Amino acid sequence: MTVKECYEEMEGDFEDVASRLRTNERIKKFLVKVLNDKSFDLLCKSVEEENWEEAFRAAHTLKGVCQNLSITKLYKSASLLSDSLREGKRDNQEIIPMLKQVEKDYEHVTNCIKMLEKENG
Amino acid sequence: MSLRENNNGKKKILIVDDSEINRSLLSDMLSDEFDILEAENGMEAAAILHVREHEIALMLLDIVMPVMDGFEMLAVMKENGWIKSTPVIMISAETVPAYVDRAYDLGVLDYISRPFDERTVRRRVVSTIMLAAKQKELSYMVADQIYEKEKDNRMMIEILSNLVEFRNGESGLHVLHIRILTELLLKSLMEKTDKYKISKKEIPLICNASALHDIGKIAVPMEILNKPGRLTKEEFEIMKTHSAEGARILGCIPMREKEPLIQTGYQICRWHHERYDGKGYPDGLKGEEIPIAAQVVALADVYDALTSKRVYKEAYSHEKAMQMILDGESGIFNPLLLECLKDLSPILKEEWDSVPTGDNPRKEIMSIVEHMMEKEELGASERTLQLLEHERMKYQFLADLSSEVLFEYRAMPEMLLLSEWGAEYLNMPVTILNPREEAFGNQVFSRKDFSHLLDGLKAATMENPVIEENYLLNINGSLRWSKVITRSIWSEGEPPKYEGAIGKIVDIHDHIVKVNELELMAAQDSLTGLLNHAAAKEKISSILSKDKEGKYMLIMVDLDHFKEANDRFGHLFGDEVLRYAADKIRACTRSTDIISRVGGDEFLVFMEYQEEVKAQVERIFYQLSGRYKEFVLSVSMGIVCIKGWDKDYKSLFQLADKAMYNAKSKGRGRYCFYEK
Repeated sequence: MTVKECYEEMEGDFEDVASRLRTNERIKKFLVKVLNDKSFDLLCKSVEEENWEEAFRAAHTLKGVCQNLSITKLYKSASLLSDSLREGKRDNQEIIPMLKQVEKDYEHVTNCIKMLEKENG
Repeated sequence: MSLRENNNGKKKILIVDDSEINRSLLSDMLSDEFDILEAENGMEAAAILHVREHEIALMLLDIVMPVMDGFEMLAVMKENGWIKSTPVIMISAETVPAYVDRAYDLGVLDYISRPFDERTVRRRVVSTIMLAAKQKELSYMVADQIYEKEKDNRMMIEILSNLVEFRNGESGLHVLHIRILTELLLKSLMEKTDKYKISKKEIPLICNASALHDIGKIAVPMEILNKPGRLTKEEFEIMKTHSAEGARILGCIPMREKEPLIQTGYQICRWHHERYDGKGYPDGLKGEEIPIAAQVVALADVYDALTSKRVYKEAYSHEKAMQMILDGESGIFNPLLLECLKDLSPILKEEWDSVPTGDNPRKEIMSIVEHMMEKEELGASERTLQLLEHERMKYQFLADLSSEVLFEYRAMPEMLLLSEWGAEYLNMPVTILNPREEAFGNQVFSRKDFSHLLDGLKAATMENPVIEENYLLNINGSLRWSKVITRSIWSEGEPPKYEGAIGKIVDIHDHIVKVNELELMAAQDSLTGLLNHAAAKEKISSILSKDKEGKYMLIMVDLDHFKEANDRFGHLFGDEVLRYAADKIRACTRSTDIISRVGGDEFLVFMEYQEEVKAQVERIFYQLSGRYKEFVLSVSMGIVCIKGWDKDYKSLFQLADKAMYNAKSKGRGRYCFYEK
C-alpha cells in the first residue's frame, strides 16, 4: 500500500497533503503518529463524564490534526462535533450520533494507517 | 542580519500547541534552521518565557488549549511585557474574523491558518523574525537621531541664553538651575492635578523654553543690569521692560510663530514676572490667566535668584528662601505650585548644590539615555546572553551544593520553580504551574499554610522584604518542621509591581524536636516525672490569667512523717515512697489536671471542680492513705477552692499552704479547706 493509496482508502486529500508536506516519508511519519494521539480517547472519556469543555478541546485538537494531514473525512466529522460543542450543544440526542460518526471515521483511519505501517515495515 | 545567533546556537522558536502531532509537524519544518522548544499550553509557555524571555526569537501559538489558551497567554505576555520582546505568530484553524482581529489586537504579528504548508510556515517565520529585529533596530536608530537633534537644539538655546547671562554678569548656571527646577515642579504638578492638561511631551518643551525667560535682558543697558546697589525707580522701569522685550524678540522670528517652542517661549518671556494676585508686570494678569508654563518658570526663577549670589545680594540658604517664598515676601504664587515646591523641599535641600554643571543636565535626557542604554544592550545582546547563561550555571552549581530547597515563586501567572536538588528532595517537578492546586500547595504545605505563606510574600514591603517562618511540611510522607526564608521581589520602575519571591526551605525538624525535649526536661521533676514547681506555676498562672471566671481548686499535699522513712529505711527507700505517691496521685487525676512535686515531700494538684469538691479531694486523700511496704502512708492536705481569681498564683498558693498547715496542726492525716 502506498501513501497515496492509503489516502484514497481513508478518504483523505493526498494532493493537498503532498503539496504542503512535500515528501511521502514525512507524510507517513506523521500519519503513524496519529495512532498515538490521545485526543480521540480524551474526547470519548470527556463526553462520557459530561466534561463538555474538555470534550470540545479534544474534538478541536483532533480536527486540527486531521486538517494538517488532510484526512478529510475524519476532519469533517470532527469539525461538525467540535462546532456543535462550541455552540454549547449538550443534548446527547444530538451529540452522540456525531460522536458515533467520528468514532467510525477514526477507526477506519487508524486501520488504514496500521495497514500502511505494517506493509511498509 | 543572520539567522544564526552565535557560532554554536541557532535562534530559538517556542511552539505552543496542545497536540503533539501539530508541534512535531512544525518542529519538523523548522528544526534544521532553528532550535525548537515546545510547550503544551500557555502556562508551560509562560514558565519558559519567565526564564528565557530574551532567548526566544519567535513564538508560534495555538488558540484552543487546555489550562491556559492562546488568548489568555497573550494577555499574560502583555501583562509581563514579553509581547514587546517576543514576536508571536498565531496558528489556528479559526478563520472567523473576530478571532483573527482579537489576535492582532493582542499583539500578534502574523496569523497562519491551518492547514499550513512548509514553505508558508518557514517564510512567515523568517520574515517575522527579521521584521521584529529590523523594527527594533530602526526604533533605536530613530531614538539616536532624535537624541542628536535634541542635543543640538538644546545647545543652541543654551548658547543664546548664556549670552544673556554673561552680559548679566552671571554664570550659565542660572539657566541650568531653572531648567531643572522647572522640570521638577512640572512633574510634581502633574502628579497633583491634570487640570493644566500638560502632556509628557510638553515637559521637555517647557524646560527648553525656560532657558529663554530672560532673553529680553539683551535690550537692557549693561549699567542697569550690573548695578551693584538698588535700582532707582526709573532704572527699575527699564529693567521691567525685559519681559515684554523678550516676548517681542521671539514674536519677530519670521515664519516660526506657530512653533510650539516659540509659543511657549513667548508665554514664559512675557509673563514670568506676573503675580498670582494680579500685581505683576507687564500685563497684570491674575490667577490662572497666567499660562502655567510662565507660572512655573516664575517660581523656579525666584527660588534660584534667592539661593544664588548676585551683584546686589548674597545667597540665601534653602530654608530662608523657602520661608521667604511661602510667606509671600518674594511674590504671590499659585498655592498648588507652592505645595509642589514644599514637596520638593527635601530634594532641593539635599541636591541643589550638587546639580551638575557639565553639558549633561541629567534629568531631561534621562528617558533618551535609557533608550540609548537599551540600544547598547541590543548591540551586546550576545554577551548579555552569555552572562545570563553563566549566572544560571553558577546558580545551579551552588544550588546543587547547598542541600537546601531553593525556589522561585512567580505571582503572575502563578508558578513555582524549584532548584534541581530541591525538586528531587521533595519528589516534585522543577516547574510547578498553579502551585496552589498542586501537591506542593496542598500536600507538602497544608493548603492553609501555603496561602499564609503567599499572603505574607505579597504583604511584605520593600523596606522589609525578607520573611522567615516555620511550617510543618509533609516531606514524602513524613511531617517535618521546616524554616521557610523568602525575599519578595518587585519590578523596577514606578510604581514597583509585586512580582513574586525567591526563597529557601531548610529542614529544622531535628533541631526543633531537640528543643522541645529540652523544654520538657527542664519542666520535669527528675525523680517523679511530675512537673517541677516552676513549670506548674507558669501553667497555673497562665490559666488564671486567661480564665477569670472558672472554678478551680488548688490542693497541697504533704506526706506525714516522711523524714522517718528516710531515717529508718534510707534515702533510696524515701525516693521509692515519693515515686509511689506520685503514681497514686497521677492515677486519680485527669491528664488535664496539673500535678507537681513542689519540693521535698510536698505535692500540688490544680484541677477544675464542678459543684461537689469533697469526692475529688477524698479520692486523692484515700489513695494516699495506707501503706508502702513497711512505711505507713498518710497525708495532710490543704485545699483552696476559687471561683474566679483576680490575684496572682503566689497568693493562691499561700492560701492552700495555710490550709495544709492547719491540717498538720490539727494532728495530721486529714484534709482542711481554707476558710477565711
